[in-house]
Amino acid sequence: MDCAPAEHGSVARPDRQQLVPLKILVAGGFGVGKTTLVHALSEIPPLSTEQEMTSLSVGVDDAAVVPDKVTTTVAMDFGRITVDDAMILYLFGTPGQSRFWFMWDELARGAVGALVLVDLRREDDCFAAIDYFENRGLPFVVAINDFPGSGDFDDETVRDALVLHPDCPLVRLDARRADSALGGLVALVEHAVARSAA
Amino acid sequence: MTVDEKTDGRSDGGRVVPNYAVTRGRTRSAGPDLPIEALMTATAHGRAALAGLAPEYRAIVEASSTPRSLAEIGAVLDVPVGVARVLVSDLVESEYLAVHLPLVDADGRPRRELLERLLDGLRAR
Repeated sequence: MDCAPAEHGSVARPDRQQLVPLKILVAGGFGVGKTTLVHALSEIPPLSTEQEMTSLSVGVDDAAVVPDKVTTTVAMDFGRITVDDAMILYLFGTPGQSRFWFMWDELARGAVGALVLVDLRREDDCFAAIDYFENRGLPFVVAINDFPGSGDFDDETVRDALVLHPDCPLVRLDARRADSALGGLVALVEHAVARSAA
Repeated sequence: MTVDEKTDGRSDGGRVVPNYAVTRGRTRSAGPDLPIEALMTATAHGRAALAGLAPEYRAIVEASSTPRSLAEIGAVLDVPVGVARVLVSDLVESEYLAVHLPLVDADGRPRRELLERLLDGLRAR
């Protein structure tokens, strides 16, 4: 679906409210398939944005100490889905390491929820993300990426291993396939709607 | 405007826009911080003023002929989100860009009707 030209912004949408952005986070350990999933779903070519670590803590008055060279930046892949004529959903692949949690606070604010990708060969990598979203009360779904061998464990075994709350949906998907990845997003949004009703 | 001497190995020799040179040392925007998914669209005023704008501002207004998020603008200019936020805020203040913020409830979560609309849209794909 193409996005609507901006020229139509205020005149051609009498019945739809203004443009509205939404975001979903895609979290999980390094190499679990976050980037693959974002790229499978995105309608735009893969984009990456940088967040500079110092930029959040240095105020206007400290301009003199702003380094003239970028020292540490965190790259973040993201994608875009035009949902309807006025709604655009962004998917952000969030760095999994706990030292990047300062970014998650900004990213998590106002998010629909998070898809936590898990590689069952390295399931320890997802605990940080699960803990974070549980503590923040952000709706999330655990999605097992379909790596070889992931079918060896049934859902109950996985839930036990990850100490998942009974209400937390568990899905399986292939992050390389758009239709499969989309199923993960739908499960998350269903969960977010259900949580919204409570 | 100074030219950023850094190269990052790309064939075009590096960034289109030097980072905190173009923001004149500012690392924060004047108003409340725009979220990374906030959408921008060029206004008629902004399109009319294009020729007179500095290159980095012009690039943003041109890119925003279709709705662009702050994250996309950072990617288009190849600058960190913090830099894009400062530049975009300048353009919003000058009314060259219109900004479309997320619609959230008092608890900071997206409104329920938006979630249902999102669900309908995703299921229809």
